[in-house]
Formats: sequence, C-alpha cells, structure tokens
Amino acid sequence: MMMMIVCVAAVGHQNNPLYLQSFTNADDALKLHHIVHCSLDVIDDRVNNPKKTGLTLNEAFLGLLYPSENYKAYGYLTNTKVKFIFVTTDLDVKDADVRNFFKRFHSAYIDAVSNPFHVPGKKITSKTFAERVSAIVNSFGSNAPV
Amino acid sequence: MEDYGEELRTPPVALVCLVGFPDLHQTISSFLHSEQPPINTLALPDFSKISLFARKNKESRDSSRPMGILKREWLAKHRTKVPAIVAALFGSDQVSGDPSQWAQVCNDLDNLKAEIRGRNIKLAVVLVQSSLKGKNEVSEDRMIALRKRAEIDSKYLVVFDVVFDQNDPSEIGQSLNRLASIFAELSNAYYREEGRRIKTRIEKKSFSSIELNIRYCFKVAVYAEFRRDWVEALRFYEDAYHALREMVGTSTRLPPIQRLVEIKSVAEQLHFKVSTLLLHGGKVIEAITWFRQHIAYYERLVGSPEAVFLHWEWMSRQLLAFAELLETSSLTVPSGAASLDSSGRSLTDWEFRPAYYYQLAAHYLREKRYFLDLALSGSEISEHHQGAEAIQSSAESVVPSVYVGQFARLLDQSDTYSMQVLTDPEYVFYALAEGKRFQDSSEIIALLRKSFETYNNLNAQRMASYCGNRMAREYFFAGDFVNAKQLFSGIMGLYRQEGWVTLLWGVLGFLRECSRKLGSLRDFIEFSLEMAALPVSFIAETESSNRRGEYGPAGPPSLKQREEIQKEVFGLLRGESKWISTTTEDQPLRLEIDHVSSLRAVFLASVAFHDQAIKVDTSTMVTVSLLTQLPHAVEVDQIEIQFNQSECNFTILNEQKAELGGSPSKEKALRVETLPNLALVTNKWLKLTYNVKSGQSGKLECLSVIVKMGQRFSICCLAESPASMEDLPLWKFEDRVETFPTKDPGLAFTGQKFIQVEEPEAQVDLVLGTSGPALVGEDFVVPVTVASKGHAVCSGELKINIVDTRGGLVSPSEYDTFSSDDLHVELLGASGSPAEDESRLGADNIKKIQQSFGLLSIPFLYMGETWSGRLEIRWHRAKSIMLFVSLGYSPSNEETAPKVNVHKSLKIDGKTPFVISHHYTMPFRRDPLLLSDIESAPDSDPLTTLALDETSILILSVRNCTEVQLRLISMSIELDKNDTECSCAPQYPGTSSTDLSPIVPGAEFRRIFLITPRVSSPKVSVGTVHLTWTRDSELEQQPHSKATLSTVVTKHKLPDIKVEKAPVIVILECPPHAILGVPFSFYVRIQNHTKLPQEIKYSLTDSPSFLSSGPHNGSTIVLPNSEQILGYKLVPLASGQQQLPRVTLTSMRYSAGLSPSCSACTVFVFPSKPHFKLNGEKGLET
Repeated sequence: MMMMIVCVAAVGHQNNPLYLQSFTNADDALKLHHIVHCSLDVIDDRVNNPKKTGLTLNEAFLGLLYPSENYKAYGYLTNTKVKFIFVTTDLDVKDADVRNFFKRFHSAYIDAVSNPFHVPGKKITSKTFAERVSAIVNSFGSNAPV
Repeated sequence: MEDYGEELRTPPVALVCLVGFPDLHQTISSFLHSEQPPINTLALPDFSKISLFARKNKESRDSSRPMGILKREWLAKHRTKVPAIVAALFGSDQVSGDPSQWAQVCNDLDNLKAEIRGRNIKLAVVLVQSSLKGKNEVSEDRMIALRKRAEIDSKYLVVFDVVFDQNDPSEIGQSLNRLASIFAELSNAYYREEGRRIKTRIEKKSFSSIELNIRYCFKVAVYAEFRRDWVEALRFYEDAYHALREMVGTSTRLPPIQRLVEIKSVAEQLHFKVSTLLLHGGKVIEAITWFRQHIAYYERLVGSPEAVFLHWEWMSRQLLAFAELLETSSLTVPSGAASLDSSGRSLTDWEFRPAYYYQLAAHYLREKRYFLDLALSGSEISEHHQGAEAIQSSAESVVPSVYVGQFARLLDQSDTYSMQVLTDPEYVFYALAEGKRFQDSSEIIALLRKSFETYNNLNAQRMASYCGNRMAREYFFAGDFVNAKQLFSGIMGLYRQEGWVTLLWGVLGFLRECSRKLGSLRDFIEFSLEMAALPVSFIAETESSNRRGEYGPAGPPSLKQREEIQKEVFGLLRGESKWISTTTEDQPLRLEIDHVSSLRAVFLASVAFHDQAIKVDTSTMVTVSLLTQLPHAVEVDQIEIQFNQSECNFTILNEQKAELGGSPSKEKALRVETLPNLALVTNKWLKLTYNVKSGQSGKLECLSVIVKMGQRFSICCLAESPASMEDLPLWKFEDRVETFPTKDPGLAFTGQKFIQVEEPEAQVDLVLGTSGPALVGEDFVVPVTVASKGHAVCSGELKINIVDTRGGLVSPSEYDTFSSDDLHVELLGASGSPAEDESRLGADNIKKIQQSFGLLSIPFLYMGETWSGRLEIRWHRAKSIMLFVSLGYSPSNEETAPKVNVHKSLKIDGKTPFVISHHYTMPFRRDPLLLSDIESAPDSDPLTTLALDETSILILSVRNCTEVQLRLISMSIELDKNDTECSCAPQYPGTSSTDLSPIVPGAEFRRIFLITPRVSSPKVSVGTVHLTWTRDSELEQQPHSKATLSTVVTKHKLPDIKVEKAPVIVILECPPHAILGVPFSFYVRIQNHTKLPQEIKYSLTDSPSFLSSGPHNGSTIVLPNSEQILGYKLVPLASGQQQLPRVTLTSMRYSAGLSPSCSACTVFVFPSKPHFKLNGEKGLET
C-alpha cells in the first residue's frame, strides 16, 4: 500500500506558519490547516510538561501528536523551536519511517533557511525547497536514504 | 449515554420476589436495597399473582434460525421481572392453624413451585412469627412438613421474628440480616447455575447459528454481572463482540442495510458494556485501546450509499457515549508516556480527555447531517416520481421490533398486531423521516461547546478555537448570526496573532457575512478591508475545493477574491453600490486605525520630520507617507494631516476630485495643498513632503492622517514615527519587498513624528547678587539685576521660588497651616527701586508674594537698559535654600510674540549668629543649704536650684559663631509677662551699646546679672535674653544714620529654675586680705531660717600658714530664726595666697555637711601693709 502524507508544515517559534503544503485534492486543505494548528497545542503541552510526557530534552522527535478523525499528526521540534508537523491518513505508520522523514525534512529546511536571501522568521517561498519536500513526501516509507 | 436504557447503563442487580404477607414487604425491600451489594425486590401481595413468571411460548432452541441476535427486552426482563428467588411469606398462624389453612399453604406452595420450575427460580420460605421472644409458635412437625412440601433445604426455611416492640429493634434487624444473606446466597446460586447452563451450550457449540452464539455469550456475561463477577462478564462480552464481527459479511438473514444496522446496534451495546466494565475496573488504557479498535473496525463499514448517514450517526453516538463514560469515570490520566496500547502504539494525552471525543462526535454528527441532507434532497426528488406518500405515511407505523437493531412495520389487523419485515428502501425512508425530526445543529453545538469549554480549561487555545470555529459555523448556518459573530470574533485574535492567514481568512469571511446579515455597515467594511489586505497571494485553487463550503462564504483565499472584496467595499464606500439597509446610508463613516489595529495593513501612515528641533517661526520639512496592502490601487480624494498645534494642520487635495466635489474645508481657512494625483499603489509608499512652520514653542507632533474617500467615508490613521514603527502584523511573515517610507533611508530609521519647537535665545542678563551666608533673624537682601542686551523686555515677569536644598519645594500650601514661627525660611518681599515703580509700571503692576513664592512685574525696558530690584528673605532657622529666579518676557510688544525665559538659581546658607550660654553662681562665701541638691541624685533634676530671697549671680556669655564681625547693641533679660517671681537686673546697669565693642568671629562676650528669686516654686521662669545686634559692616557703611540701622533682635529663652527656701545659711566672714603677722578675725556665721533649733557640728582643721584660736571641734545649737557665730582669731604665718583653716559644718537635722570651696577658703596675705589703694571688695570678688 502506498503510504500517504497529506500535509507537511513548518511552524515558526511564534507559532506562525513558515511553510505549509498539503498533498491532497484540496477538499480538506482548510481542515489540514486546522489540524496542524491544533497540534501546536499538543506540542506546547509536551514541551511545557516534559516530565508528564516523558519527553527527553535532547529528543527532537515528538512522535504522534494526536489522532484526529482520519488523520494523524506527527511532530518534531528543532533546537531553534521551529516545529515540523506532518499529517498522514495512514493508520499504521512505522516510527522509523516518521523519524527518517523528519530528518530529511529537517535537512531540507536547514538548506532553505541557509539561503542568504531568506530572512529568518519569514515564510519559506523557495521553489527548490518545495520540490525537495515533495520528493521527500513521495518517497515516504520507501526506505530512501537520509 | 441517555440513548441507552437504564438496564445497560447500570450494573444489574439481583432480583428477589416476595409473595404474601404484604405488611412486611416495605421493610424487607428497603433493607435489601440498602445492602451491599443491593438486592432489588419484586413484591407480590398474594399468591394469585405468581403466574407472572410463567414462561410464555418458549422459543424452541431447535428452531431453524433465530430472527435476531439479541432480544430487546431480555435484559430488562431479567432485571425487573424474572427474579432469582421467590420468597414465600407465611404467617405462623397460617402454618400452625387449622387444617384448612394448612391446606391453603400447601396449595399455594405447590402452585408456586409449578410456576417457577420452568425457570429454575430458587424458592425460599419465610415463616413470619409475630409473638414475643423466640418462642416457636409452630411445632417442629409442621416445620418439617412445610420444608418437605416446599422441597427446600432446611436453611432456606427462615423464621422471621416480627417484634412489635419498638424498644428492641435488634430482633427484626437480625431477621433481616439472616434473610439478606440467604437471599444473596440463593441469588448467586441462581445466576451461577443459569450462567453455567448457557455456558455449556457455548462450550458444546450446541447452537445452530452464530446469532445464538452471540446471544449466549451475552447472557452468560449478564449473569456474571448479576453475580458481580466482572472478569467473566468482560470475557463473555468480548467473546460476543468478536463473534459478532464474524457475522459481518456472512449474514444474509436481513436485507443488507438493515443487517448492518442490526450488527452495529448490537456491537454498540456490547462495546458499551465492555467499555463500562473496563473503565469501572480502572483500566483506562485498555478501555481507550478497545474503543479505538472498535472505531477502527466499524468505521470502514460505511454501508450502502443511501444510508451513509446512519453510519455517521452511529459513529457519532459511539464517540459521545465513550466521552461521557470517560468523563463520568473521572479517572486520572496515567502519567508517563509509557501508556502504550497492546499494539505498541502510544496513546496521546488528548485521547484521555473527553473533550477529544466530544469534538469527534460533533464531527461525525456533522458528517451525518451532510449525508442526511444529501439523502433527503435525493429522496424528495424520487418521491415525486414514485408518489411515495404511502411509504412516507407507512414509515409512521414502523416500530422497533423485538430484536435489538431491528425495525418492523406494525400491522394493525383488527384485534391483533403483527410485525412485518421491512424492505431496505422502506427502512431508509423510515430512517430519513426519523433523521429529519432531529435538530442535529443544536446537538452539534452542544457537543462542541462541551469540547470548547474543556479545551479552554486545559489551556489548549488552538483546540478550543477550532471547536469555537465549528460552533460558530453551526450558528451561522442555523441563522443565528449574533452568536456566530461573537464566537468568530473571539477566535479571530489567535489566528491573527499567530499569523494563520488561511484560517483567519475563513473566519473573516464568516464575520463579513454575519455583519452583512446583521446590517452592521461599519463591521462589514472593517472585515472586508482586513480581508482585502490579508497576505494571500497565491492563485485560487480549483473551485471544487470549496465544494462542501469548508471555507465559508468567502471561498478559498486567493488574490482574485481579495480584489473582488476590495471592489465591492470601495463601491459601497463611494456610494456606487447600495448597502442593504438604507438607514445608515447618509451618515458619515469614519474608521480609526491605531498602532495595534488589524487594519494597519489597509492604511499605514508614517510621518517624519526632517529635523529634530527648530526655532519658533522657522519652517521645517515633514514627510507624510502612506502605505496600503490592498490589491488594487486606491484613489484618495483628500488627505488631512493633523497636528497637536491645530494651526499647523493642512489638507492635501486630489486635483481631479476637488474639481468634482469642491473643497469642504475652505471656510476654515486652513492651508490647502493640491496634487494632481493621489493614488496608493499596493505595497508602495506614497510620500508627500511639505513645509511646516510653528509659531508656538514646545512639542509639535503629528497626530493623525485622515484619508477621505467619497462624500462620507474617512479613515483616520494615527501617525507613526518611522523610527518606532512596528512591522505589519501579518505581512511581517511574508517575503515581500520592503521599502522606506522616506526618501532618505536614514530618516526611515531615525525619523520621528514630532519635533521640538524651541523659543528664541534670550538676550537679557539676569543677575542675582549675594553677600555670603544669611544670618537667622535678619532680613537678608538679595539684589536682582535685569540687564537687557539685545532684546527689549516687554511685560516681563520675575518668578521667585525658594526651595529647600535637601529636596522638596518649600511650597506655600504646605505652610498655610503653620504659623510663621514654624516657617524656616520666608520670602518677605520683592521690590524694584521705588522711583521706577511709580513711573513705569502703571496698571500692569503685578506683585504677589507668598512665603516661598513670589511674582514680580518688571517694567518695560528698552534695549540696553537695566532694572534692579531686591528680594528680602528672612531665615527663622539655620538652613540652606536654593533661590530660583526666572524671568519671562516678550522681546516685542506684539501679543503673539513668543515668551522668552531666563532662569537663574543661587544657593544661600542660613546661619545662627550667636550661641548663648549661661550659668548661675552664689555670692562669695555665702552658702545656703539647699536640701533638694542633697537629696536628689546628681542628674535627675536638670533644673538649677536657687535659694529663695538670696541674690544669685547669672553669667550670660554670647559667642559669635559666624564668619563676619558682629556688633552687639544691647543685651538684656526681659521677664516674661509681668512676672514678679524673681527679679533680674544687670550688675552694672549703666553700660550702653556704644560701649560694646564689635565681636570678631569666634569671640565671646559676657555679662553678669543678679537674680533674686521671690517665690519658692519648683519651676520659676527667669526670662528671655534679648540680644540686639547688627552686622558690623553695616555700621561702618552708615555711621551717621543710626535710625536706618537694621538691627536684629535675637531672643533666647533662659531655662526655668527651681527656687526653694534654704533652712540654714553659712557665711564665712573674713577680711579680703591679711597682713603677715597681723591677727585678724574669721567668723563662721550660721543662720537658722527655720522655726526649729538646729544642731550643727563643726570642726576646724588647722592650716600651717595660720596660727588660730577658737573652738576647734564641737557642736552648737542654733536657735530658730537666729544666728550663731563661731569666731576665730588668726595670725598669718606666711605670705601669699594661703589656705585658711578649713571649717567643716554638719547639720544634724538634715545630715548635711558643708565644706566651703577652695577659693572661699583662701586669703591673700601681704608681707606687710600694702601702700596702694584698693578698689573695694567687689573687684576682688569678681
């Protein structure tokens, strides 16, 4: 079965969206915005209560944030407090795949913000980044190298 | 959860039937009910009702196939109708009575046994004894007969003692306890046996269909629940649930839609039981995992398209029920992330929160409504074709059938009713008709509200916002625009703050529509403008993206949409298109955009002065820049720029528009500029630079820039300084070209919207003369000189302020409440030279003097002229002050001429001129015995004690402690009031002021006064020292005019003294000098002033310098009011200052001794008779 990522987002440290791309037939684009936005609450909750959630400080990967209707949102927090979130329709996702995905997304993000023409804190509009993200999304779950 | 019956929601309770002896039923029922575990009772008054338990047309187990899975009534029946035990109550008199009664008992028992045998119901016999104290009324034989008749074990024949003695309720309590334990035992046995009976059928697989398997599992589980064996109950419910799953896809008994409905209904019940039991057992994680599997499995079983809504309704119900279960179980969320479910997937925190499930329930209910609406619109079309009114009406006779999840048509065949199985289309019609009846919208809102509130309490704002958003949409579609608007407004802020433009777009779209529907023009325009200025730049997505109206009335965010919104709103503003309600049409509309407004992206006004400070009446440049993010260029009719100094305001007119509409502000005669074109292009600053000139000193600040469009619309933008301008809230995240609001980039970083307008430089000197420190008491004069150098002084004014140097203004109000004595420093007067005052001040003379503040008019001065005046200040205490003098004047006579101010300050110290000290002495060789001096401790009484009627000597010394030479003019002691308590006179009264020489700094002057107290009192006031003095320099300056000499009187109050009568006075009499070898007399005179004889001891110690004769040691009595003289003859043996023989006296009565002071006991012995003339005794004494 082809694994399916429906939405990928990077959220800045003021919780503002830096990049949000959905890979679905537009019907639920707004819905995905809502899911990504709501999952910020979960991230806040985990970051603020690291003991309760057993989150270790060095761990960037936040795991499953919350399942919502047909979707599941996974989260990842960088050292600069930029959050990566992706939403999938898969019911059975391997943890390793998710981690792998986030690692690749993170390196793509780093390359994008390292662009001298990019102003930190602003939305990422780079086409190269968008293409790279699409490629990562398409190869999700297919054991592509990091 | 209310959808499920009571029998499902609560654990089953064992049921006992009481037959006969109805008097006791109430007592037994309530007792059993309060037992732990409780037992319910079914009370039958007499044995005629027992046919109730009879098994009706028992369904044969062998019948080919059951019609359904679970019978709807089965559970309720076992909870309320079929008892585990029937307890037959007989009175003892019935049993032991005559044969006919006994026969009746036997008959009843037989009937009962016959009825209950079919159901295996347990029987217990209760023999009610109403006699006293355990005396068995029924004989042993009868008891055995009864037991045998009932075919029960002996322990199930209970003797129940009813003692009608209210004082001893223990007996009846014991009976009840015994009864309860027997009932518990029997009911357990009954349910166990029943359970086992059915269990064996499962084990032997002796069932013909899977339906029966499920039913059996369910029954076993229920029986286990009756016994409170939760583990077994759970196991069998789960077995039933799993067995049910196997039915999916295999069963063909019913038409497909109804088949699925039945399976789901049963699954729902089984799942509900399992969840309840799991949560009840505290297994939250298991419960949630179970629930998730349940949902995951059945979510896929959508069913046929025409009945999809039923599926979503079912889903919603599952979530709602689980949410309520979770909420009521109020279990704590297990801590630690180790909450992994059986499949190894971790549970997220949200899954422990009921809010999560409420929200999902709402979601599925919305789905249901969507599909129901679809189905309804479809069916309405088909109705016309089929003329299906008959079916529609027949849907009314559809009722739930005897099986869970099945429906059938109730056919009324004259007397009997019969159930007819429905076809799927019929069933769908029925479901549609049912679905129409429900208000899904209010249900969805209720669910969302619950979720919304819970998330808010959890501080999960975004989740709450999402629920609020959904809720508001429901209100909106339900036509409740007020509530919708309120909710949308509440969540808008979060999206705005975090820059979620897409979400904000949707919310604003709804708000815009709400405002339109509510007829609020202002809101409509504000929301429209905000939407049009949102940073949405991408091209519209396909139209299909809004198929289900997710984005709301505004459609998906796109540039095109923004443009349309702008077009619409500006059309409205310019009056080109009409607003729905015409009432507000003609009123002017004004929007305010401040520094935090969300409309800053619509119009942003930046104002920068090119200079930081200017002088009055010089002009400077100001750049007014406007920026808009609206997608289309905006043509502005008029821009008004307002300053805090309204005379600087000006208006910029659009030339094209001005011709059309005429200038509205001409009559105000304000400055009007025109420009050929006033158009704002997206994200490009419109920069307008103009001259500004202020005729008023102070701060000139640009307040606002008012943009006017059309006849009645204006936007007032508060001016912002480029230096402190914040980024546009949402656009700051966008990658856009940023330009400077001013041509000069430096000004874009430092420019301010205000400028300091300074007054012209003063060309007048203000001089404060000073002559060293001021002295307390004198009128200190500070000369003030105003010398004009380059300006004429017009309506000049001097302001004088005295301020304490230690901080704090010596404010006049502070001193209003004090007397002038308390005032430390006082401004006495301020005046110009008298000649000038008369001639030039005239009517304008303003002179206002308060203690620390003064105002003085300065006469008109031509250029080069000088005016001088003087300030008189008096110090009451030694204190330093700051004197502030400021001169305000206009350089010309014109009224509008700006005021110029000159400030000067001077620190002046106030000093005490003299330190006055004093001390008292007694006359030489005269010692009164003062008893208080002896009695009191040395330092307890600070007052000096003087003897009554004796003349004492007061020495006053005055020390100049200033740095200037002072001259003392007079020094006297003035008695307070007309006091006659004591007299005080200078010893040499003739001395006049001219005799007093100037006292140089640090020098001391002394004067002697004689003081004679006349009254014996512990507190006698002596008087006040009056010192009259002047500065020595003034005396030199004005040697001739003594009248104008400014003398100062310094007063010093002398401390009080104590006066008492001396009982004994000792006077040593001795010549002032002696001559070597010439004998002289030396007397000790002891005066007794009392009315008692005084015994005095005396002793004389010889001195080697004198040869003495007279009594040396002894005592003498001095008679009252007389004196005793001890006489001695002395011959000096040595010359020079010699010590006289020392006399020591002791008053026996007062135990007081006297030894005269050393100086009193010395005498100068000349070697021979001197040949100079002495100036008398007094000189020697001083």
